[in-house]
Amino acid sequence: MADNKIYWSGLEELDRTPEFERIESQEFPAERPVDAFLSDDRLQRANTGRRDFLKFMGFSVTAATLAACETPVVKSIPYTNKPEEITPGVANFYASTFYDGHDFVNVLVKTREGRPIFVKSNTETGYGRVNARVNASVLGLYDSARLRAPQLNGEATSWEVLDAAVRKGLEGNGRKVLLTGTVMSPSQQRAIATLVEAAGVEHVQCDAVSYGAVVAAAEQDFGRRVFPSYQFAKAETVVSLNADFLGTWGDSVWYTAEWAKTRRPEQGAMSRLHAFESGMSLTGSNADRRTRVKPSQQGNVAAALLNEINGQGHVAGLDEAVLAAVKSAAADLKSAGAKGLVVAGDNDLATQGIVNAINQALGALGTTVEIHAKASLHQGDDAAFAQLVEDMQGGRVSALIVDGINPAYHGADAEGFKAGLEKVAFSVSTALYADETASRCKAIAPNHHWLESWNDLQIDPSRIDIAQPTIKPLYDTRHVTESLVAWAGQSVDAYTFIRQTHSAAYTAEAMYTDQNWNTGVHNGFLAVEAAEETVPAYLGTALAGALAEVKGRKGGGFELALYRKTAMGDGQQAANPMLQETPDPITKTTWDNYVTMAVSDMKEMGLNTYIAQEDPASVVRVTVGDLSVELPAFPQPGQAPGTVGIALGYGRGADGEAIGRAAFQVDGSGDHMMDAEGNLVPIGANAFPMATLRNGAPDYNAYDVTVEGTGGTYPLACTQIQHTYMGRDSVVKETTFDSYLAESGADRGQASWNKTIGLNVHDDINGDGEINALDKKAAGEFDLWHEHAVDGVGHRWGMAIDLTSCIGCSACVTACHIENNVPVVGKDEVRRHRDMHWMRIDRFYASEWDMERGEEEGLGVISTYGKMEEPGSNPQTVHMPMMCQHCNHAPCETVCPVAATTHSNEGVNQMTYNRCIGTRYCANNCPFKVRRFNWFHYPGYDKFQNFNPAQDAIQRMVLNPDVVVRSRGVMEKCSLCVQRTQSAKLEAKKAGAPLEDGAVLTACAEACPTNAITFGDLNDTNSEVRATYDNNRTYHALEEVGIQPNVAYLTKVRNTPNS
Amino acid sequence: MFGYESANRSLPVLRRLASVVAMVTLAAPAILHAGIWDEGNIENGQALFNANCASCHLVTNEVLAAPGLAGIADRWGSSEEVLVQWIQNPQAAAATGDPYVKSLVDRYVGTYGWMTAQAVSADDVKDIMAYVQNPPDVVASADTGSDCPTIYDALEEEQGANGTIWFLILLTLFLIIALSAATVRKSLEQAANQATEMEDAPYSVRFRAWAWDNITFVSILGLFVVAYFVVIGYQALMGVGVYQGYTPDQPVKFIHSVHVCENEVDCQYCHHSAYESKHAGIPSTNVCMNCHKAVKKGSRYGEVEIGKIYAAIGFDAESGTYLDGEGKNGYQGPQDDFQGEPLKWNKVHNLPDHVFFSHQQHVVVGGLECQNCHGDVGKYTVGRIAPVEEINGLVNDFPGLIELSKPTLTMGWCIECHNKAEISFASSGYYEDMHNRLKDDLRGNEELRRYMEDEKTTVKELGGWECSKCHY
Repeated sequence: MADNKIYWSGLEELDRTPEFERIESQEFPAERPVDAFLSDDRLQRANTGRRDFLKFMGFSVTAATLAACETPVVKSIPYTNKPEEITPGVANFYASTFYDGHDFVNVLVKTREGRPIFVKSNTETGYGRVNARVNASVLGLYDSARLRAPQLNGEATSWEVLDAAVRKGLEGNGRKVLLTGTVMSPSQQRAIATLVEAAGVEHVQCDAVSYGAVVAAAEQDFGRRVFPSYQFAKAETVVSLNADFLGTWGDSVWYTAEWAKTRRPEQGAMSRLHAFESGMSLTGSNADRRTRVKPSQQGNVAAALLNEINGQGHVAGLDEAVLAAVKSAAADLKSAGAKGLVVAGDNDLATQGIVNAINQALGALGTTVEIHAKASLHQGDDAAFAQLVEDMQGGRVSALIVDGINPAYHGADAEGFKAGLEKVAFSVSTALYADETASRCKAIAPNHHWLESWNDLQIDPSRIDIAQPTIKPLYDTRHVTESLVAWAGQSVDAYTFIRQTHSAAYTAEAMYTDQNWNTGVHNGFLAVEAAEETVPAYLGTALAGALAEVKGRKGGGFELALYRKTAMGDGQQAANPMLQETPDPITKTTWDNYVTMAVSDMKEMGLNTYIAQEDPASVVRVTVGDLSVELPAFPQPGQAPGTVGIALGYGRGADGEAIGRAAFQVDGSGDHMMDAEGNLVPIGANAFPMATLRNGAPDYNAYDVTVEGTGGTYPLACTQIQHTYMGRDSVVKETTFDSYLAESGADRGQASWNKTIGLNVHDDINGDGEINALDKKAAGEFDLWHEHAVDGVGHRWGMAIDLTSCIGCSACVTACHIENNVPVVGKDEVRRHRDMHWMRIDRFYASEWDMERGEEEGLGVISTYGKMEEPGSNPQTVHMPMMCQHCNHAPCETVCPVAATTHSNEGVNQMTYNRCIGTRYCANNCPFKVRRFNWFHYPGYDKFQNFNPAQDAIQRMVLNPDVVVRSRGVMEKCSLCVQRTQSAKLEAKKAGAPLEDGAVLTACAEACPTNAITFGDLNDTNSEVRATYDNNRTYHALEEVGIQPNVAYLTKVRNTPNS
Repeated sequence: MFGYESANRSLPVLRRLASVVAMVTLAAPAILHAGIWDEGNIENGQALFNANCASCHLVTNEVLAAPGLAGIADRWGSSEEVLVQWIQNPQAAAATGDPYVKSLVDRYVGTYGWMTAQAVSADDVKDIMAYVQNPPDVVASADTGSDCPTIYDALEEEQGANGTIWFLILLTLFLIIALSAATVRKSLEQAANQATEMEDAPYSVRFRAWAWDNITFVSILGLFVVAYFVVIGYQALMGVGVYQGYTPDQPVKFIHSVHVCENEVDCQYCHHSAYESKHAGIPSTNVCMNCHKAVKKGSRYGEVEIGKIYAAIGFDAESGTYLDGEGKNGYQGPQDDFQGEPLKWNKVHNLPDHVFFSHQQHVVVGGLECQNCHGDVGKYTVGRIAPVEEINGLVNDFPGLIELSKPTLTMGWCIECHNKAEISFASSGYYEDMHNRLKDDLRGNEELRRYMEDEKTTVKELGGWECSKCHY
């Protein structure tokens, strides 16, 4: 079955555009303007003759040689008073907790010489798994745009002056409001209570991305205003109605790992995921059945699901295809019963109410859906925020304290908020940057970065998670809790305040003696007594109204769904160059915001549907009411026709706010671009204002929008057709769960869905007395090169990647980026195919139609292919992490003229930068296209000055001191984190004991939230990775080339529904 | 983390101290045989004083970590038995209620703390007192019996040798030129006499004619000149990137020979992270203070150089306490808010960024002595890249030292050693595991046989010559 599927990386490949064919055949397709350079007449005007030129050259060479002979003097500055726990050169790990108002995850922070340089999941005692946003957040600590001192009226001031100003500001007569995101910290809640009592302040919570309708629906149906706790690990069937729970929706850092636990075919059972959505989300791309539904129909789909489950007949107004999918989903839900789970992403009370009814009808309450008594995530109150904005505009607010959020950017009524803020007599923000909100406040009391501060945070009633500082605050900032308490007139430091929250009798003498606290800090959490959870009664009073409401919904010409990208999230880290450069898992586009559109719609409107280096995207104007944005249009396979999608989180710093240099567009020479008014040009446009207020909550959909081409074009840096396999399609193998089960006992290489590739030989191999097409030898048995002795010799590092578990989230990409000092190269270079990612995630689309199905449905070969090539159809998606495969018969090694890339006896393809002379032969000979060339001196060249972390005196502290920063003109690529394997070996040697399996993980394996990546020693007969080599799903990419990689893949298994 | 507390790496003095404390508890009550202020053995007394007393007391009336002992015989206001008891067990002596001891306790214990009990017999005390009353000249004693070089001896020697070579080269060149000039003049005169018709010819033509006439001489001379430049050029090129003998100036005139050779401080006391990290590290200033809180005056530069440490860490030598950021003293430990200018040392052993080198790999796993790569640092003043010949010369003092031929700190030197250094499979569980893998596997077995052809397994054979063992 899998054999007949067609995989394509983008429409350009599917339709084989001329630009694609040009790119495909070249490893380095960027135009080199040699002719343009030579025809430049300024060259003719040069008055340096040939002889002079030779003289200058001779002099320069001699001078350079002589200069190189001198011993460079290197300073070495030891600690004056060395902290006891630090040994230079040795990493320390600290348990901490990340919470940014949305993601909540327990982490381990790696520090070197007192500098945090890497964030990974605390898998031992922690909650959730780190995603791309969390592990890249370490860069934010060193951002030089952070405020370095408290500010009053735009001037730096001292904390005493600021505190006096705030206390005076709080004496006003109007409403005094503390506006925060969802507060998860018991200590901060205590501090707020102190402030409320002392200064008559009101506390209003408002989230950057509102989940107001979800908590409101829980209150309405269960009497508890909480965000439900979804237990994906218990679910057998999951139905997602536009909820991107694997990427950005809800508590995705936790859901991802939990859901992946149910996706192991070896367990004999797999959960099934149905997705209904308009644009292609990460969750949709991983769904077993994905159905395109317009945003206005989401409510109806929910209603139809409920009706199907209750056996109340069908809902009118749905497409036949959608209805079929609903029936299929409902059948699966019914068979899963209490182990079914429906989640809806729309922040719409009616839809959420119906979803509650479905989960109730399934009996899922108490199993897959838990409604805890204690509130935790997403407590934002949209109505209170709206009231606040109204009062601000009416001049009834005398003081405003903003903490943790940026309502002037993401507020439901950001313009209203900005206007209102001007009428507030005194306002102060605790933001780390002078961002959209803070720069409009009278004062800024900058908070610490999360890596600099103590914190206690509670998401689970049975534990209090602890965040501990991993570095002394870089600047003159102050913990927000300390600020709040100071404004309440008390003077206590944040640490003492937090300790006192958990032990009222705490005094400084007991700092180190409380064993319970010490254990808590070590493990990252304090265990606390939790009240017994009860399952609340379902009220369901509003169901009839909700059903009626969704029934009446109609869309206009186009419908808009606002979504968040996996890397960018809500835009807090817009200035993080690593997140900007991480290709979106679906569109594979970097550094930009765009409008995703159905290909058919684009063709109808005459827009360009092929995007490549020389093919810029067409610009469209999307108008909602009186708001409009102009963005490039991106042809998205799988987008529901008549719908468009725009990512939130872009357009930060639209008024030139100092939120970080990487948040703005740069021109070809690396300087910031300026608009007509001399402002910096933000990346993309802010789509938050386009949300529709429904029942008081912003629903990130708009049912009636207009889309029109402006005639303009805009270059996008899209990597989807970069680094392709030149038509070799034996890279991906996939099957269905049913087919897998039918042959689950087969040996590796035998099952129909994972047959070893054999090549014909002129020899009677099968012994039938004839030499014919049946005489095949497995590709792995061909030896073109001299054998490398790796089996049984020392270690042999290997990796296995399970395509079934890989969801494409890109956490591995950012982890690799940070661990290996991979340079950030910026949009212009990415567009020229010069991105430096050692690890990329290939996203292949595959048409659902294959030859088998064509045969079944009685279509001829031609029309089946026609069906398969309908790009507007709903493709299936495969995410495939691709990095150096460390081939034992590596094509790159044989072509290097200077032996700069060689094979180690540990099975690793070594890249020796200091020996490389940059011929790039190796990259040209790599069938996986995973070698990257340093075209520039990224840490020094002007073109990269505004985003490369190594070009900032402070930000370069994030570089990993164990990995060299490569110089210009050398190749680089995945090293299988050789610095980690070497260090683990050393630890084992020091301990005098064999190296244990699991003692060393590569950065990507460590970052993978779904454990799709297994890494270890293939020569260790007991290792996990060795076991995967006997798994019958295991295969090597491009096996027929005979390169014998040390990286293996496990066949993707989809739990495709039969109906 | 707390590695330097373990016994095998600590300062010998500390180790001795520990055993002394242990002995005190077992010491039998002292019996005094003769008057304590009588003639004792001065030499024996000096040895005992240096071993037991010198870390806190001076024989002058200056204060080190405790009062100086000059004039003790005149001021001791109690019996000789009490003095012996006071040294052997100060607390017990105080418990006797002796009024003079009480006055000592009141006066000094508050400032300097209790004296550590010393395991010395009454006879020892007699010898010590003999020494204290008649201390020999300090400088003279440093010169006698010590094979530790004095300041900059080694360095000056090195520079001297370099100068001589250049002088010889210049001299040779001068001689060659002078000789040739003389010969040329002589030949020209002869030529002029022989062929007067050449007189009007240009100098170059005449020179060519002369050279032709003296072809043998010119050829030999020319050959020497060419050979000379080839050799010089080759040596110059081979010297690019070779920094043998590199001895940069340092901000503090730190003298290794005083610390390591004279005072027997172990390398790892200061460079302890060689055992724990890839860096051996320059000791942090607070490590210096472990000794220099007491030793406030150096034997060579007095208070000048030690004063630089105090300035960096914020130590007030007079009061013996630390300063805070506002200049207030009285603290027992270094203060975080003190903003001193840290010591900026000049790195001696520089490796390029693309080289990964781990000290613990070589010291802990490989079991190498520091001297194998750094030479006998104890004989140096400041840190220096030891030339390979000098290191090879230590082979008799340090058994197991691997003799190498390539210049120190070049890649050739590294891999030469990797090719010579042996690994014993039985040395640890890790290598045993590697050995088992080789034995159990067909291909591994072949490989193993290849390793063992020369009856030893070297680092190279286990992958020590592979690029990414050091370059990543």
